[in-house]
Amino acid sequence: MLSEATNRVRLDLNAAREIYETRIKAIRSPLGVTTLGFGFLSALKTHDAPELVNRLRRLAQNAELDFAGVVTSERTTLCRIGPHSIPKEAVQAANPIANLALDRGVAISGTVVLSKEFLSAEDPELADRAAIRLLPTPRAAPRDEKQETSGMALMAAIPVFDGGDLLGALYGGVLLNRGQAIVDKVRDTVFQQEIYKGRSIGTATIFFNDLRISTNVLAPDGKRAIGTRVSKEVKEHVLDKGERWTDRAFVVSDWYITAYEPIEDIFGNRVGMLYVGVLEEKYVDIRRKALSILVLMTVAGMGLAVGLGYLLADKIMRPVHRLIAASQKVSEGNLSPEIGPISRDEIGVLQNTFKNMIVSLEERDRRRRAESDNRLLQSEKQASIGRLAAGVAHEINNPLTGVLTYTHMLLRRRDIGDDIRSDLETIAQSTERVRRIVKGLLDFSRQTKLDREPTEVNRLVDSTVSLIENQALVKGLSIKFNPGENLPVLTLDRNQVQSVLFNIIMNALDATEPGGKITISTGISLSARDGGKKGVEIAVADTGCGIAPEDLDKLFDPFFTTKEVGQGTGLGLAVSYGIVQRHGGTIRVQSEAGRGSTFTIWLPVDETPERHENTRS
Amino acid sequence: MKILVVDDEQIVLNSCKRVLEADGFEVFPVTSAQKALTTLEQEGFSLVLIDVKMPERDGMYLIEEVKKKWPDMPMIVMSGYDIPETIEEAAKIGAPIFIAKPFTPDELLAKVRQVIG
Repeated sequence: MLSEATNRVRLDLNAAREIYETRIKAIRSPLGVTTLGFGFLSALKTHDAPELVNRLRRLAQNAELDFAGVVTSERTTLCRIGPHSIPKEAVQAANPIANLALDRGVAISGTVVLSKEFLSAEDPELADRAAIRLLPTPRAAPRDEKQETSGMALMAAIPVFDGGDLLGALYGGVLLNRGQAIVDKVRDTVFQQEIYKGRSIGTATIFFNDLRISTNVLAPDGKRAIGTRVSKEVKEHVLDKGERWTDRAFVVSDWYITAYEPIEDIFGNRVGMLYVGVLEEKYVDIRRKALSILVLMTVAGMGLAVGLGYLLADKIMRPVHRLIAASQKVSEGNLSPEIGPISRDEIGVLQNTFKNMIVSLEERDRRRRAESDNRLLQSEKQASIGRLAAGVAHEINNPLTGVLTYTHMLLRRRDIGDDIRSDLETIAQSTERVRRIVKGLLDFSRQTKLDREPTEVNRLVDSTVSLIENQALVKGLSIKFNPGENLPVLTLDRNQVQSVLFNIIMNALDATEPGGKITISTGISLSARDGGKKGVEIAVADTGCGIAPEDLDKLFDPFFTTKEVGQGTGLGLAVSYGIVQRHGGTIRVQSEAGRGSTFTIWLPVDETPERHENTRS
Repeated sequence: MKILVVDDEQIVLNSCKRVLEADGFEVFPVTSAQKALTTLEQEGFSLVLIDVKMPERDGMYLIEEVKKKWPDMPMIVMSGYDIPETIEEAAKIGAPIFIAKPFTPDELLAKVRQVIG
């Protein structure tokens, strides 16, 4: 901002210089034209002073000159436009520019320092105008005199020839002291009368030495600061060294961005300075304003961002946060968290997906819980019954030994009647039943370790079927085995799995009327659970009475039996279930009352295939 | 032939005595492992019938003692707790013949004859 101001001030100084020079030309040209006039020449030749004065006055009026006159070739003033138009003084003050023009025989124009005497001779008013009292100025270089009485003027002098004879010279000029024309023209054209806080921002000054003789810089009292001086620093740079100066400078009472350059008179002496300056405050204020605008924009931007953020939070982040909170709740086990209203955009898709996920989670959770409840119940039953059985079996079996042996001893006697024998046989049978129940309890309660060995399922099923075949034939049932092909070898506790098979097939036998059919088949199947683990399925299907739907749930409960009293212990399927479970398998039942039932045992394939390879050979 | 029967339950002792005597064996019932060992010191037996679960010293202890002192003495283990673990343990310490309680006279006699011909 300030460097831009500095650049501008430099250009402004060039413009001011141009105006200054133009003013000099505006003096020189009319003078030059006047010397060419025939009337002027003849009046000069004849030293017709009144005629010359008339002409000079017209010229001065037209060219706005403060003074003008004619010097003879003897370097004495012939006439002038001032009150003493015909010089009467004994000793004339030297006319430096006219003399120079006469000496050189060429037109001279430029800045000229004029003595008080010269000015007084021209016009006492000019001498008064020129006299400027030096005002005390801070930072200025010390000066002894109290008052400046010389003047600085823009002048031109044109030598006049008649043929080859030098007749004299015409001179004229304007006094710069207290003049306003140039500096105000600079202010008005260059700065276009810009006003800042009641002050013109652009100022121009003409210095005579370091003294302001023509300026529109205002002193604190509001008057033009004529009589004040330039700072010592600037004086040294510009007047003494002849350099241009462009910088921040303290002018009279304010900081200005300033440019100074020296003014040389017609003899090449540095006699003054031309100055332009721009009130710094304006640029500082502009900078401040720009800065505050920047700050304002930043604040507004931030405000906007916060506002937008809030809107975004409202529209996007709130549902997302709700989803996050909902996920948190889900992870804490709450499967029906509040997720808020469903949006219509992509967030809505996310929300719906989340909802669906929760629903399926809930479904899975419910299924799992049901399953584990079931399993828990099953294992609790098993454990309590196991403890009971272990405690009771021993106690029951001892007295039972007495009952069984003595009953049989009695039955050995030949001296008993048939009625007594029949009674004793009833006792023996009942005792046998108790023995089976206790044995079943023991089997059920035992968490026997599995004695696994590689087993071909088809061979195991086949041997079990042959054990039962005769019984089936006796009962008038057909029993058929459809072995599946390419079954993997499983590692099973053969005896225990066989007892399961035996139990299930015997149940089928009991449930099926003569003429019925029992079909056993094996095959590879994937588990419905455990992510579709590979396994082998053994299905036992009968065409028997089927199972009532209300009994299906209780089928594997210990002591649950649909058989007639004395026919079943209610432990067979419970024990079977435990065995299959310990193998990592499952038992499924499908049944339709009156149409028959299918029990499906599923056993997983062992995950160490190399063992299978070995045992196959 | 003399058979020593060891069981803390009187009814089991009585049952065995009744069945075995009816078949011509001489039966000595005792109610503890300690008494069994004392009796064995005094008399020679063809067979010892041992119950597993008894208060104080149990059947397993008795089997080990008998095996130490009379290595060739035939033994039958009986138990109302008919589980494979019991049977295996007894077999491991030298008494591989097992009969589960309750039993019928025929079942008991079959086991006895299996051991002592």
